[in-house]
Amino acid sequence: MTDDTLLLRQVHPGFIQQNRPSSQVFRPTPKDENRLSVYDGDMIAAEPSWRHYTDVLGRKSVGVLAITVRECSDQELTAAPSPDVFEQHVHVDFGVCTANQAEKKGKKLLASAMARGWLYQV
Amino acid sequence: MAIQEYLRPKLVGERFQGHAIPLEFLRDLAVLEEMVVEVAKWKFLQEHPERRRTPRGFTDDMILTLSAVEDGSAVPVIALMFGSLLPPANQVYYDQAKAAIVGAISAAADNQPVTAFLPDTALAYFDRFGRSLRDGEAIEFAPPTPGAPTARLTKEVRRKLLLASTGVQVLTEEFQLRGAVHEVNQEAMTFQITLFDGSKVAGPIPSQHFDNIIDAFKGYKQGMKILLQGVGRYNRLERLQGIDSIEHTTILDPRDVSARLEELKAFKNGWLDGRGVAPQHAGLDWLAGAVESRYSEDLPLPYFYPVAEGGVRLEWSIGPQEVSLEVELSRKTGEWHALDLDTDEEESTAVDLDDEAAWDWMIGRLTGMVGARRRD
Repeated sequence: MTDDTLLLRQVHPGFIQQNRPSSQVFRPTPKDENRLSVYDGDMIAAEPSWRHYTDVLGRKSVGVLAITVRECSDQELTAAPSPDVFEQHVHVDFGVCTANQAEKKGKKLLASAMARGWLYQV
Repeated sequence: MAIQEYLRPKLVGERFQGHAIPLEFLRDLAVLEEMVVEVAKWKFLQEHPERRRTPRGFTDDMILTLSAVEDGSAVPVIALMFGSLLPPANQVYYDQAKAAIVGAISAAADNQPVTAFLPDTALAYFDRFGRSLRDGEAIEFAPPTPGAPTARLTKEVRRKLLLASTGVQVLTEEFQLRGAVHEVNQEAMTFQITLFDGSKVAGPIPSQHFDNIIDAFKGYKQGMKILLQGVGRYNRLERLQGIDSIEHTTILDPRDVSARLEELKAFKNGWLDGRGVAPQHAGLDWLAGAVESRYSEDLPLPYFYPVAEGGVRLEWSIGPQEVSLEVELSRKTGEWHALDLDTDEEESTAVDLDDEAAWDWMIGRLTGMVGARRRD
């Protein structure tokens, strides 16, 4: 991965209203152990990642948004491959962020992703 | 014409405060007259088993009228008006009818057999009498004998009376529904609507609501929703079977609060790929009421999202400001966070959503952001 590597995030239908995603999309839930799951955009494109997520993993997604590795490091977040989950899997580590810090980072990441636009939508 | 007071039902509920009766309720009172007349005839025939029909002119010269509306919640005074100076002989059967109707209502409320008071055919009138009652409302009747408890007709008691009739398989009730019109048949003038729980219901298209229903159909793929108010047919399990008539239609704002919170009610536990706690319905109802009553119409409506832990999150994008309010429904508290994406300034605080002052503060902050955007 490089600074310009796109990290692909699947968007759950529950987090969309009127085609506007919630900033929760880029904020891990407590059960995620403070790590956000994304796909390495150098290893897989948006639509195939969506197919893998929905068909292979059996999960729900209405589309793919993306942030770069640089955008993560700008928020003091580390992106690291985690092929133990599956080959293209990457974790963005929110470390020991407080709730407010995670809130701010999530909003900034979503703003970056929306400026880029949807890479894939059903 | 002579006039004699007949019945003083008391209408209980917020809609009837201040001496007011909504016009739609007058339909229920009109049905009451029909029911009284038929029960009076039945009482006559019970006393005269040798007869197959009531005498000609049995109901001539006697009509029930609304003579006044008194205070104390609304009390419509219903009077019996007759053409002679003295009450006609048949009046005794009208009095028996009143006692039978009030007795049946009391019996239903007490889970006692109602057919001891009214026949099947008379019970069917409760399909239209009391149909306008909403949750928390009642029509109270003084008991025929002093000291007996007041008879209260509520939505639940009405349902019991109807279900006591062997002939009733379907009840009609007023409804208010939100959904998306997925199908229209212009030849048959019918439509189908998908409700937020995924169920589908069919109904007629009244000509005065044709444009709204067609607009909702055209906007289906864009997520357009419509609010329908009318009368529906429900089975004995209280499931809506179809729409009988439509009285009002409203195309909803894409971010209509009640519609969105009703959508969130369809979320089940495990909604987030096996995780995710569904928001509690009572909490969603509270939040809908709080937002409807306190939110300013001058502000953009928030977006609502479920939160994995069972809460609800409100979000606004106002110029460079990204604002969120994460609500813990059972405690009625929230976490407010506002981030200016241009300046990186942020503000966060916990709010007590049972406190009017907290809402005033949030409305004030949002108003300031909207004003700042207009000035830029």
